[in-house]
Amino acid sequence: MNGQPYFSNKSIRNSVNRRSFILQASFLSAGLLLSNCFRKLNGPKPDYAHIKGKLRGPNAKAGHILRDKTPLPNPETQTSVKTLIIGAGISGLSAARWLLKSGDANFQLLELEDHAGGNSYFGSNAVSSYPLGAHYIPIINNEDKLLIDFLAENQVITHFDEQNLPFYNEYYLCFDPEERLLINGHWQEGLVPDFGVPTEERKQIVDFFKLMTGFKTAKGNDGKYAFDIPLDNSSTDATFRKLDSIPFTEYLQQNGFNSAYLLWYLNYCCKDDFGVLAANTSAWAGIHYFASRKGKAANTAENSVITWPEGNGWLMKQLRDFVKNHIRTSQMVYGLSYHATGGVEVKVFDLKTGKSSLIIADKVIMASPQFVNQKILKDIPRPGVNYADLHYAPWLIANITVNKLPTAAKGMVLCWDNVAYGTASVGYVNANQQDLKVIEEKKVLTFYLPLCDKAPRLARLEAYMRTYEQWLDIIIPELEQMHPEITPDIEEIEFWLWGHGMVSPAVNYVWGNTRKMAQSPLNDKIFFAHTDLSGISIFEEAFHQGIRAAKQVLGT
Amino acid sequence: MKKNTHLLLLISVFIIATCGLIYELISGTLASYLLGDSVTQFSIIIGVYLFSMGLGSWVSKYFDKNLLAWFIRIEILVGLVGGTSSSILFLVFESISSFRIVLYGLIAFTGVLVGLEIPLLMRILKDRFEFKDLVSKIFTFDYIGALIASLVFPLLLIPYLGLVKTSYLFGMMNVLVAFIACINFKHEIKGVGYLKGAAIISLLLLLAGFIFANKITSFSESLTYSDPIIFSKSTPYQRIIITKKGRDLRLFLNGNLQFSSVDEYRYHEALIHPVLAALPNAKNILVMGGGDGLAVREILKYPQIKTVTLVDLDKEMTRLFRSNYMLLQLNKRSLLSPKVTVINADAFSWARTQHNLYDAIIIDFPDPSNYSVGKLYTNTFYKIVKHLLNTNGIIVVQSTSPFVAPKSYWTVEKTLKSVGFYTVPFHNYVPSFGEWGYIMAMNHSVYKVPDQYLPGLRFMSKSCLEQMLYFPKDMARVPAQVNKLNNQILVKYFEDEWATVL
Repeated sequence: MNGQPYFSNKSIRNSVNRRSFILQASFLSAGLLLSNCFRKLNGPKPDYAHIKGKLRGPNAKAGHILRDKTPLPNPETQTSVKTLIIGAGISGLSAARWLLKSGDANFQLLELEDHAGGNSYFGSNAVSSYPLGAHYIPIINNEDKLLIDFLAENQVITHFDEQNLPFYNEYYLCFDPEERLLINGHWQEGLVPDFGVPTEERKQIVDFFKLMTGFKTAKGNDGKYAFDIPLDNSSTDATFRKLDSIPFTEYLQQNGFNSAYLLWYLNYCCKDDFGVLAANTSAWAGIHYFASRKGKAANTAENSVITWPEGNGWLMKQLRDFVKNHIRTSQMVYGLSYHATGGVEVKVFDLKTGKSSLIIADKVIMASPQFVNQKILKDIPRPGVNYADLHYAPWLIANITVNKLPTAAKGMVLCWDNVAYGTASVGYVNANQQDLKVIEEKKVLTFYLPLCDKAPRLARLEAYMRTYEQWLDIIIPELEQMHPEITPDIEEIEFWLWGHGMVSPAVNYVWGNTRKMAQSPLNDKIFFAHTDLSGISIFEEAFHQGIRAAKQVLGT
Repeated sequence: MKKNTHLLLLISVFIIATCGLIYELISGTLASYLLGDSVTQFSIIIGVYLFSMGLGSWVSKYFDKNLLAWFIRIEILVGLVGGTSSSILFLVFESISSFRIVLYGLIAFTGVLVGLEIPLLMRILKDRFEFKDLVSKIFTFDYIGALIASLVFPLLLIPYLGLVKTSYLFGMMNVLVAFIACINFKHEIKGVGYLKGAAIISLLLLLAGFIFANKITSFSESLTYSDPIIFSKSTPYQRIIITKKGRDLRLFLNGNLQFSSVDEYRYHEALIHPVLAALPNAKNILVMGGGDGLAVREILKYPQIKTVTLVDLDKEMTRLFRSNYMLLQLNKRSLLSPKVTVINADAFSWARTQHNLYDAIIIDFPDPSNYSVGKLYTNTFYKIVKHLLNTNGIIVVQSTSPFVAPKSYWTVEKTLKSVGFYTVPFHNYVPSFGEWGYIMAMNHSVYKVPDQYLPGLRFMSKSCLEQMLYFPKDMARVPAQVNKLNNQILVKYFEDEWATVL
């Protein structure tokens, strides 16, 4: 990558109109099909023949029933419940936890997949558990009492010191060494480019971080932090909010940042947290990445991270187990309407039994993404909500089981987060980082590839068409670049494709009208909770989205 | 007789002589590597070898027919036995207690075969040369070969090829002589095709041995170790190397010296006796690391000790120190004592699951030279260990050199303090290590230098320990931070501090 985006927001709107989309899509499809045919003719590459694994992902088939309006059987039974939560991702689980903690047990949580978890879902094999999506949280802002409480309930925070600073569980704080970057033929410690970076560019990098440190403590004219988490707590001061109306790249340009190394790093950051390039991230969101986290701890440095072998799957399990009696999986909601009695009538198709049923709920929390809500709520207008304002980045996650990790480049040894400069992916994390064992013979590396080189719709289409072998062709060369001759040591690669991996904070989304309106309840009956209503897909936002909606339902 | 056949035969004599002497030298060198005491070993080996050659010469008279075929067969056999001898000896050394029998048996066998060669050759050639010519030529080339062998062996072969590859190389030469003889005398030998096939197969086998010699015993390493390597093995966890030179037996794990038999008593007495002399009622002891059994040897000197639990990661390591006779001599069979339970497990995970209390805990891990071992020096680990210690118990931690790596040493001390221990740092001089440091840690600040020590200790005494507690200015306490799982500062200090020395 050369720091130049392959597409920009402008180009999505203008050039990817319907006709050009169809044209590009046809080219892509033809190319992929052709390459797959060649693959079939020649058989799998012999070098990869020993690699086991499957290509999986969220239940796209069920999703497409909704999209394609496939006729479903009429509901046979009818039940009622006080509160119905749709979607058992982090925001749905968090809403459920809040209801239960508030003494309200009359609710149900429906999930389309056969498991709870959403983006925090995880997998496991004989070697280790591993994340299939979100994999860490940074230490929490000290003002965030609700999240601190949750972490303390689950021993992630073990106690507080005299100054009331949280003491984080030593087994969960990411073990050292934490990060390394393969740059100029060398593994350097830390991800900010340094090794072989010219002095002039180094200075720019230092200046950039100085600027960001300033934003960390900056407050608006309302006395609130300019950048906070949850982001709705951020200042309304126009000085800061207007940054949402320009792309991050434009902001960088205005401030004289043009170092290729710095721009690479910032693109990496945007890809890592938002699934898109800096050109498709609003400047406000780009700065938020650096300026919103100010948590202090009794026993670790600022910006430390907390992680588990299964990633945020561990946190998800704590939430899930707390409300597990209320969760019903493989339940697809396909219709929603106001009921004559004053409640909400929800049509549910059971993917296991193939039968439909009706649930009459007093109130509904839609903890599902808006691209799904758009289909479910086809008959219910949402004033001010323009679904086209929401962009979702597709992601590929590869969990790679290796016997050993050959290294050619000198420098830092295996870290938790391992990134190579100038590659399409955002690197891999070592799922076994928190192991206490002195030596693990095998490892699982969770490799993250944001599919951001094309407009999301095209990238998604292309991604859905790729076969397991075609993904191998994409992933392995990059892995080989990081670790020459690793291929024979790869035992298994498990691919997980997220078609709509995460919402992207595109220009004017975070502080635009759609997000504000999409958070508004409908008729005091239908409530919304999802990270796409924050614009930033992180655990903290999901957690608070759930609590906000639950509080609205409870009227507290 | 054709001129080139003539020359060929003389070259054969030359090769045979060189090979013969090389095998003898290899056996002698190996014996002194593995068993020490080079004068005795060389002397015995030469004696046994020459005697066996005599035996071979005597036996040669019983070979009457098909002399050429017999000569070829013997050449192939010499090549195979001589070529593989050093590999066989290295491989059996670790596991067989009657190693000497194998060693002398193999030497005797090679000797007999080599002893057969020259008499047979002379009889084969007796009709083709005049007798005085024959004797003169054969013995001239025999002795020239011997000279060449004795020169190239120490100057070229051992430094550049190592013992194992040298054996294979000369084994191949013997077989090559057999092969050339097959071709040259194909009309005079019955079933020459069969012999030729055998020669080719043997050649390929020896060539494979030559190529894969490093997999059998890694002799590329002999260049990095100053003393001869007598044992090397890669386990899933580490590379174990034992070297021996004279009385000095050394153990290396991943290239790092663990002990030298010459002065290890200084290290192990200092590690154990300040703790146990202060705990006259200690019954149950936990040792973590220390799979060599040397610390356990010191512990078992106290008759009141009831149980010793040794936790060492590497099964291969404890197996070696429970089976090899030389190592058993060194650790006084400590790991075979009925009081000792050996557990092969990862110390961190193991300790987390334990509830039994110990009166003393000996922590003898390798130095914190990488992030994996560094975990065993963190506050989190020491917290767990604290839960396994009796109220009045004492922990001791080997803590690298306070002279070379003061920051590392005092980081370990600071880390122990951070979990609520009182500490007693001390150090002594271990010639093969240099100035070495240890830290005792306990729940109460009541450590008193013991007055009485076991009889028979070679190093430890009251006045000695008093000295060890004193830290001169060049090793004095430096400000340090707590080593944690999420900062691992110790590994970084250790690397920096030792990098300036190594």
